[in-house]
Amino acid sequence: MKRLFVGTVCAGLALALAACGSSSNASGSGSGEIQIGAWSPLSGPIAPSGTQVTAGAKAAFAEVNDAGGINGRKINYTVMDNAYDAQQTIQVARKLIGSTKVVAIVAADGTAATAASFPYVLQQSKVPILFTYGGAASWYTPPQAGLFGTQTLYEKQAASLATWAVTSGSKNIVVVHDDPQAFVNVANQVVSTAQATDPSVHASLVPVKLNTTDYSPIVAQVKSKSPDAVVLILPVPEAAAYLKQAKLQGVTAQAYGYAPDADPGLLKLAGDAAEGFRTLSLTKLPSDTADPAVAGYVAALKKYAPDQTPSFYSIYSYAAAKAFIQILKGIKGDITPQSISQAVQSATAIDTGLLPPLSFSADKHLGTDQVIRLSVTGGAFTAQGAFTSPTGS
Amino acid sequence: MREFVLSTLSGIASGSVYGLIGLGLVIVYRATDVVNFALASMATTAMLVATTAVGWGWGVLGGLAVAVVVCAAGGVAVREVLIRPLGGGQLFTALVVTMGVALILDDVQLKVWGGQPRTFPALVEGQIHIAGAAIQWQQVLTVAVTAVAMTAVGYLFTRTPLGSAMRATAESHETAQLLGVNPHRIARLAWALGLGLAALGAGLAAPINGVSIGGFQGALFFAFTGIFLGGLTSMAGAVVGGLVVGVLSNWAAAYVSASFRDTVVFAVAVAVLLVRPQGLFGRQTFERV
Repeated sequence: MKRLFVGTVCAGLALALAACGSSSNASGSGSGEIQIGAWSPLSGPIAPSGTQVTAGAKAAFAEVNDAGGINGRKINYTVMDNAYDAQQTIQVARKLIGSTKVVAIVAADGTAATAASFPYVLQQSKVPILFTYGGAASWYTPPQAGLFGTQTLYEKQAASLATWAVTSGSKNIVVVHDDPQAFVNVANQVVSTAQATDPSVHASLVPVKLNTTDYSPIVAQVKSKSPDAVVLILPVPEAAAYLKQAKLQGVTAQAYGYAPDADPGLLKLAGDAAEGFRTLSLTKLPSDTADPAVAGYVAALKKYAPDQTPSFYSIYSYAAAKAFIQILKGIKGDITPQSISQAVQSATAIDTGLLPPLSFSADKHLGTDQVIRLSVTGGAFTAQGAFTSPTGS
Repeated sequence: MREFVLSTLSGIASGSVYGLIGLGLVIVYRATDVVNFALASMATTAMLVATTAVGWGWGVLGGLAVAVVVCAAGGVAVREVLIRPLGGGQLFTALVVTMGVALILDDVQLKVWGGQPRTFPALVEGQIHIAGAAIQWQQVLTVAVTAVAMTAVGYLFTRTPLGSAMRATAESHETAQLLGVNPHRIARLAWALGLGLAALGAGLAAPINGVSIGGFQGALFFAFTGIFLGGLTSMAGAVVGGLVVGVLSNWAAAYVSASFRDTVVFAVAVAVLLVRPQGLFGRQTFERV
């Protein structure tokens, strides 16, 4: 009986000590590392962009760690491969939250994969998901607890393109888009914004089967409509195929494309057919090293990810990580999922120098809707001014 | 009229690529009963090697030759190392193995060459105008090369002892072996020839579509449609089927809707198969019961 009593007391003490130990090791409080995580497609067909997104964010966190961290605490950023698969993303999320005990998911990559994690990460575990590379309108309307973004949505990009085309004098706009609903929604936004901006503008849609390689019949259709502007809501290979075929068939209407088309791959595939192509960027140009913020990004990438060349992917994630670092620095007290969410929600003036100025609130979980207009000049993307909103201001 | 001419001629050019790839599939299938789902990935790998060769200054023809040799050699390697040990009759297993090869090759391509698309120079530059439609000389060359390739393969199979041996092996491995034909040698030759033709098709399409991971999957998909339409066991059917698919696809995009392109193509294929289950050029086989 006495042995049983002593054994029970010892077991209880051991349990209590273990609980104390685990709470003191939790990344939210104490002097340990701040654990944050992300998932990214590091294998599979999306890996080319995933590795760049990961590299940019890692460079930013390595840079701040070398500078002393956040109030003396280093950031431990764990990125795991989700192969752009929803089920794998959930497994990764379980590991990051259950084992690594991250306090936030920062600069994860992929819209559909990230959305699959919401029930477990946001609703069950109450861990915030911040500044994902990707996003959808439904994520932020209505705002969801713990979910914040810094990437101008495709719909706002479409609106910016429509405004640009109309204010450039276009009266007959054709929107060439792939047939999945995600592309259709964006294409419809071009039409509605164009007509709202100028009711005399005629805008029409030309749907294309996803992964089409022969654009000759599409260009023939476009040509028959005699447009003065063509907006492409297409991935890079198809946008390049359109531009080459349009040049071949003598379609001279000004071509526009949304931000995913601001990619060196488009310049490579389309060659001189891309000359004059107008598109958008979510960040400052990675090639604009005269800008101090861009120069800082390039230097960080060179130091911490020397195998990476500057790109739109890594500059975005670097900037998103910088935004997160600014928010972390402003947190007084324990760094927990709750304090991070509160801090983001209260952030009204985050300036990374690379992204548009970011502002959040309880009702506004998407920090910006601005873009930079680009044009292909001499075989390279060149900025046409500063960040602008969809209305052009 | 211009739209019709453009859609038709461009469809014939695209269909030629599908036909070459389909021809490669049929040659491999007839000799070894294996449906090679890795064909597009293997052709892509070969083309990536070719872009590297062009970068080294080997020229377009040199790059194309490299692609054909690499793909043919790769085909033989896959057959000898992965397919042959399975033994006979393992059709489903062999199919799954080729799917695995495709996935592995996609990852290898990513690791070695990165994910950015690459360009491959055209053999001939410039364009020709027909009825107001501009067609690239590269597309014309593609059609011409396909015609030559089909003629050469037809001659090989019908006029040479090697071709006779290959046809005999396709009819019955056991009987051919009894007649002194080495089925493994024939299989190696078939894989080399089939994959070489696929690389040729990819090399002709690459100047227009670029070279990227997964970039030829669409062509493989249409090639399969073409060989089912033309007849799974018919080499002429594979090429004609590919041409029909290419033209139908463009006509559907031009005159119905680009988003119903695949629907129209498959509807026609199904309609043909309902009337002729063996395809346009396939042979109907009968079993004694």
